Amino acid sequence: MASTLDAWPPPLPQPGPLRSFGLWLRQPGFLSASPVLLFFLIGFVGPLVIVLGFSFLPERTFGFHGDWTVENYTRILSDSYYISFLWSFGLATATVVCCLLISYPVSYGLARVFGRWAAPVMLILVIPLFVSENVRLFGWYLVLLKGGGILAGSVKWLFDLDTGTLLYSNGSTLMGMIYVYLPYTLFPTTLGLSLVPRDQMDAASDLGANRWQIFREVELPIAMPGILIGSLLTFVLAVGAISEAKMLGGANIVVVAHAILHEFTYAQNWPLGSAISMFAIAITCILVIFIMRRLDLDRLLGRK
Amino acid sequence: MAEGATILRIENVTKQFGKLRAVNGVSLDIVDGEFFTIVGPSGSGKTTLLRMLAGLEKPSAGDVFLRGNRVNDVPANKRPTCMVFQSLALFNHRTVGQNIEFSLKMRGVSRAARRERCVELMDVVRLPQDYYAKGVTKCSGGERQRVALARALASDPDIMFFDEPLSAIDYQLRKLLEVELKDLHRETGKTFVYITHSLEEAMVMSDRIGIMQSGRLIQIGSPDEIYTQPLNKFVSEFMGEVNTLPVQAGTDGKFDCPDLGTQLVGPSPSTSANGSQTGYLVIRPESMRFLNDPSEADNHIKGSLFNEYAMGSRVQYHVRAGSQMLVVEKLREMAFRGSVNDDVIIGWDVKDSVLVSD
Amino acid sequence: MQKGKRWVNSLIIVWTSVLILFFFVPIAGVIISSFGHSRYFSFPVKKWSFKWYDQTINANLTENLHVTSFYVAGCVAAIALVLGFFGALAFARYDWKGRIFYQRLIMLPIFFPQAVLGLALLLWFTYIGVLPSWEAAVFAHLVWIVPIVTLIISIQVYGFDVSQEEAAFDLGANRWQVFREVTMPALAPGLFSGGLFAFLLSWGNFPLSTYTSGADSTVTEWLYTKMSSGYTPMIPTMGAFSVYGSIIILFAGYLFLIARRRRAEKRA
Repeated sequence: MASTLDAWPPPLPQPGPLRSFGLWLRQPGFLSASPVLLFFLIGFVGPLVIVLGFSFLPERTFGFHGDWTVENYTRILSDSYYISFLWSFGLATATVVCCLLISYPVSYGLARVFGRWAAPVMLILVIPLFVSENVRLFGWYLVLLKGGGILAGSVKWLFDLDTGTLLYSNGSTLMGMIYVYLPYTLFPTTLGLSLVPRDQMDAASDLGANRWQIFREVELPIAMPGILIGSLLTFVLAVGAISEAKMLGGANIVVVAHAILHEFTYAQNWPLGSAISMFAIAITCILVIFIMRRLDLDRLLGRK
Repeated sequence: MAEGATILRIENVTKQFGKLRAVNGVSLDIVDGEFFTIVGPSGSGKTTLLRMLAGLEKPSAGDVFLRGNRVNDVPANKRPTCMVFQSLALFNHRTVGQNIEFSLKMRGVSRAARRERCVELMDVVRLPQDYYAKGVTKCSGGERQRVALARALASDPDIMFFDEPLSAIDYQLRKLLEVELKDLHRETGKTFVYITHSLEEAMVMSDRIGIMQSGRLIQIGSPDEIYTQPLNKFVSEFMGEVNTLPVQAGTDGKFDCPDLGTQLVGPSPSTSANGSQTGYLVIRPESMRFLNDPSEADNHIKGSLFNEYAMGSRVQYHVRAGSQMLVVEKLREMAFRGSVNDDVIIGWDVKDSVLVSD
Repeated sequence: MQKGKRWVNSLIIVWTSVLILFFFVPIAGVIISSFGHSRYFSFPVKKWSFKWYDQTINANLTENLHVTSFYVAGCVAAIALVLGFFGALAFARYDWKGRIFYQRLIMLPIFFPQAVLGLALLLWFTYIGVLPSWEAAVFAHLVWIVPIVTLIISIQVYGFDVSQEEAAFDLGANRWQVFREVTMPALAPGLFSGGLFAFLLSWGNFPLSTYTSGADSTVTEWLYTKMSSGYTPMIPTMGAFSVYGSIIILFAGYLFLIARRRRAEKRA
């Protein structure tokens, strides 16, 4: 009828360190990850290592001969190459800030206001993304062109006014960048906002908070992971932007990507190009690692 | 206790995950056709044990015998058993019919025969026939439960396993399904092995109950036996509100209760062998009654009425005595006429008390 | 949030509408100019015609470009799906030591300036002796698209109740049947979106293609070269084709999903 407590069975053996490693390798998770990891190694790590290697070679060499030098790095700091860095980072920062300001209300709308219409609206906003960036920027070129451009032409036709050049300015470049990178801010921010439970906001309101306080105390902290990812993505991609400056900004603005390209093509100076690349890579990597360490991707992407 | 052959024998089964021993040397015989429930709090190892019986986990040590055959190494899909999962694990991308017929499809049964069997099963679990083509995501909670049941029954398994299927639904529906499950058990005559954390649920449906704590099986018995003769404090407190009085051996075969400052008479005389060991005197609330005079019962306690709670067919009273809060339950018709903070005397007879160890 | 904040909601709707218009302005510009008759661009369009559409469709060049782009995008989508599927399982489903590190690691190629990545790959290819060609471009695209596809499929995997697989196993299915009957159908929407994304992102990609495709040229590369050198109405026409193509593919995909769902409901 009633059973009694059994005597302690002896403890079961634990595997040793070498066997533990073997077991770790055989985890279904690791096995599943191995194709991607292998590809990552060959496709991402490999190239970066090569760039790193090249950055320490003397200029105008195209193979590894064993002459290591840091002259490329010192050149970046002493010559005016750092200017292009300032341009790129400055533009990128401005882009991120503007994109955040522009997209936040839309994200809020998608998460809270649009209801059933949220999905179609998102679809509409996604469509331009699949048209090549160059095509879209070219469209802006056509719109802003002096004289016969769409904007100038319409204004002339309607009001008989002459607009000056709208292209080839900092403003047009920035606008181009905002245009291209807005979705990269918008979608993660929407994702972040969707994490904010409505009842927490209601509770805060009930406890006496006004809209600004609710935003600061409830919305912002919870949506922060999404906002961070969006900003980070936008920033990093904007730093590497090449087309906007060229097509809408003209020769005044030389971004980092141009400087790198210049070294690789016209100047035939691969080591210097590599060094500039490493600078850009290092800065973005630091940023990425810093922010990613604070993120819980599981929660963000919807783990139950 | 049910008569019949043993269908499932569990011998000294242990399951270890790294340093954690989830199941620790459990032995158990389950009788063919009985409704056996394993009860225990979260983390007691009951789910792990069930999974080993179903073939979803392998024991680290010990053996499982199904009808006399050792099945440790037989995987779940080859065992004549079926499990109803806690989350129900319905195939969300499929219809009701496709879910129920799944095991038959795996066995290569023809479409027509599958359909026939499905129709039968839907009747058994009381699902309307027009649900056949309905997507399971469109079904209500109760309907999903029934689909899960029908799906598990389809291949006519010898044993059905249930992993807390009712824990996530509301009270009304749960009470309804408890009764239906018990009826289903009687109709099909299959062996049901059920786990839950609610002793109350177990008592309603089971032929026998096994109580687990920290990986060990502590007590096995019929619902009545568990209720009236709990082996230890854990088991007795598991059934909800009982009065547990810590006592020590006293003089004349009686017990000292320091918390109440009185001597009490136990169901059996206290021996010097108990020594200064703390035991517990357990009295169920419905065995406690209000006394006008101490002589009306074997034991009495003086206290004051703290509060009373009307609970439908019964009324519950909390009486404060010393550092203890005692619970008395009476049927509504026999409610006690008194008010809060009154001085009262409550008492019980020795035959209604049990002495348990820690 | 009280519904009473009507004016805020209206403001948001207006803001969003303006944004949508803003998004489509250049696209409209491209389409409009593709209908212009004259050799040079001017607005308002003086003469509308399909002349440039004609020329573009007939040019051999166009066909080559589109074929190349198509091959590249197709291969990228296929390979990315396979790699991404297993990558997603490792990302979201299996609990294993190193998973969190792995999650962060494979996201890196996404957060990376593409032009720099393209150049790095060019260097790498030169180093290991691979010639730039459309196959090389496929590889380059995969480096940043595989993580994206992994993420997309992971989102689907997160919502998948793993006990469905155990239940299927318990009901008598072998491992292959579990995969075919339960896992794949449940994850299919994610795979579909992942494949679609991979195809479209590859199709529209410029920075990576330009450094790695060598003599084989994709549509985007041609557009860039032409835009820098001199205006010809073929540019907006090709651009317009891109727009039409994207819209068609997206809507086709959307309709396909709906049709599939209807068919599944009818089947049972």
